[in-house]
Parts: sequence; structure tokens; C-alpha cells
Amino acid sequence: MKEALISLLGKPEGIVVFQLLDATQFTIYLSLIAFTGGGLAGGIIAFLRILPNRWTRSFALGWIWLFQSTPLLMLLFLSGLGVPRLFGMDVNPWTAAIISLTIYTSAYMADVWRGAVEAIPKGQWEGSRALGLSFAQTLRRVILPQALRVAVAPTVGFMVQIIKGTSLAYIIGFRDLMAIGKRWANSPVDGTEPFIIFPLMAVIYFCLCFPLSMLSRRLERRLGTVSQQSSVHAAG
Amino acid sequence: MELRFFEIYRSSEYVLLLVDGAALSAGLTIASGLLGFVLALLLSWVRHAKVPVLGLLAASYTEIVRNTPLIVQLFFVAFGLPMLLGYQWPFWAHAVLALTLNFSAYFTEILRAGYLGVDPGHVEAARALGLRPHIIFARIVLPQAVAKMWPSLSAQFIFLFLTTGVISEIGVEDLTHAGVFIDSRSFRSFEVFITLTVIYILMSLGFKAAMSVLQARLFRWQGVR
Repeated sequence: MKEALISLLGKPEGIVVFQLLDATQFTIYLSLIAFTGGGLAGGIIAFLRILPNRWTRSFALGWIWLFQSTPLLMLLFLSGLGVPRLFGMDVNPWTAAIISLTIYTSAYMADVWRGAVEAIPKGQWEGSRALGLSFAQTLRRVILPQALRVAVAPTVGFMVQIIKGTSLAYIIGFRDLMAIGKRWANSPVDGTEPFIIFPLMAVIYFCLCFPLSMLSRRLERRLGTVSQQSSVHAAG
Repeated sequence: MELRFFEIYRSSEYVLLLVDGAALSAGLTIASGLLGFVLALLLSWVRHAKVPVLGLLAASYTEIVRNTPLIVQLFFVAFGLPMLLGYQWPFWAHAVLALTLNFSAYFTEILRAGYLGVDPGHVEAARALGLRPHIIFARIVLPQAVAKMWPSLSAQFIFLFLTTGVISEIGVEDLTHAGVFIDSRSFRSFEVFITLTVIYILMSLGFKAAMSVLQARLFRWQGVR
């Protein structure tokens, strides 16, 4: 692929494009890991939130509040520099990036899913109990099938936030699209000026994010979504 | 493992750095928020009124901004544009431009949703009274939309505030910049970034409070029905 790009675009553009695309795979891996890890953790937190127990509920609410209020950049600094230095150990950028993005994702995913479960009218819980269903049965047979439906669109939409979030991981030394692009933009090579490299990187990020945004919007129209109040705000 | 918060902040030097950084972060965020809101009014109006060409451009613009990372936009605005167009600005001006462009796209989406939520009966009534379209928009649709979407706008603003730490990457001496500097001097990364996190959280609580005070002030008419 490298040769093809060089013969197509010449040097150095061919090499630059190849390296950027090559580095994009790490952006994708990190996003997928964060989405999976954060999704699992978020699921657990959301579950703790809906359990009829005061302590688990407060813990889940606290978790969601704390990590939605903490800037992602601070999570990265803490997991990449703060905690390793405190305990005098080495943490590689992969681990630190995965941990911070997973925590970040978990808080938002938990909030989406909690909102989805809470959107189901209380009467359904009461009705299920009246019919003799246990808490687990009610959750599995009655609540979740309806809640998951409205949670799909914001969940897909949040993947865009994760991909954009990974662009900050270069700050703790993670070598992804952002890191490689920034290095090229700083290089004195002709044809890699910042006004060429950064739009090029924007195009790659856009190609990753835009389809997901569209999909999320289509799903929202087809399946509905969680009410405005608990919907995920986008930024980054 | 030993926490040494006191040691770092014994001298007032670092404390002052943090205060200055926090003030700059707040100032630049507020400035960008206001400018971004004004730009969003324009963009959302163009889209709402379905102005040909411009409407499409505004739609593409918001999609591009919302689907690319802020840091890439920031670097393009701070390093790409000045080289391309040959101008020199201080760091903070680049940051304000980048944040304004970024914020405006997110506000645009919220405002648009707000316009759609306005009762069509109000627009019809205004039209029947002979009000011109731009008056209807400015006096009937917009105030109701902003009032209704205020909680969303406020949450979005605070969410955006939490992403502004990236401007330290282009040399703006904001709160994050102060933290990185103190960290490089003291090597007490954990304490420094925990402190920073707490300050960011406190500031966003402050913003939240300010936004609800504003809401009560600005939309008093909403209670009169």
C-alpha cells in the first residue's frame, strides 16, 4: 500500500498519507477497546444504579457525576503521570490511555443506560411485581428489551465522542493518528505544512466519525431515544 | 506513596499560577461561549430559514466541526491558518477563535432543536397579525427556543468548558498549562492533577450556578402565562 500511495501522490505526500493511515489503526484499536471496556463498566454502573439498594445507587450516581465532571485530559494526566509517579512505577501509554478512556466512557454509558431504564414507566415495575415476577425477571423480560431500544442511538453516538477523545492520548505518549500527524506538521519537510497536515487528519477523523453520527441519527429516528434530559452532550 | 499537597502549595508562587490560570480559562471560555453563541444564532437562523446555499454550507460546517477532534481544529487554527493567510496573533486569540468555531457548532444543533419545538400556532398567529418573517423569528421563535433550551445550552457550555484544557497545547497559559508547569517543577504529578481536577469541577459548579441565576433573570417572562 505504501508503494501505491507513493506512486499515486509522489513524495513526500505518499509517505505522509501512508503513515497517517497506518497510525489511524491505533486510533481505531484504542476506540474499540475503550468502547468495549467502558461499555462493560458502564453496564455494571448502570446496574448498580437501578438495584434497589441505597449504597450501590449512591455509588453509581457518584461515579457518573464525578467522571462526567472530570476533564478527559485530567484523567489522562492522572493515569499516565499522576498515579505512576505516586507509586513509583512505569505505566505504558497504552495502559494509561485505555484506563482513562474506559473510565470516561463508563460514566457516560452508565448515564445513557440508566436514563433508558428510568424512561420506562414505573407502572411496569409495579405491574410485573403484581404478576409475581422477581426483580431479575422484571429487568430481563420487561424493562431491558424496551430500554435497550432507546439506548441504541445515543450509544452509537457516543462512539464519536470516544474517537475524538482518543486524539488527546498523544499527550501522554500514545502513538496514534494525532501523534504522527503532529510530528509531520512540526517537520520542516515541504508539503507537510500545518495547513496541509491538520486538514488531512481532520478528513481521516471525519471519515471515522461521520458515518457513526449518521447511523446514530437514523437509529434515533427509527427506534427513538432517551429523553432530552439524560441525552449525552457532545463536545471535543 | 506519600501525598504532599502542603509541600507544593506552601509557597504562594504555585497558588498564584493556578489562580491566574483558572481566571484565564474562565475568561477565554466565557468569551468563546458568547461569540460562539452569536455565531450559532446566525448559523441556526440560516439553516432554519432554509436560505439556499448558505443553509447547506452551515449544515456542512456544523457536521465537520462536530465530527473532528477539537485539538485538530485548534492546531489548524493556531498553526495552519496563520501560515496560510500570513497573520500573527497572540496565543490566546487563536484559542478564542478555535473555541468559538467549536462551540458554535454544538450550540447551533441545540438552537435548531429549540426552533422546532416552538408551537407552530404562535408563528401562524404572528403571521396573521402581519408581522414580517424576521420579526417573527427574532421576537417569537428565538426567545421561546432559547428559554426552552437553556438547560441544554448551559450543560453544553459546561461540557465544552471541560474540554478547553487543550488550549494549553498551543501555549496559552490556562489552568491546565499552570498544572503542567507546576508538575514539571515539582514532579508531584498526582497531587497537581488532583488539584486541577478539583478546580475544574468547582469551576463547572460555579458556571452551573451562574447559568441558573441568568436563567431566572433572563426568562422571568416565562412565568407569566
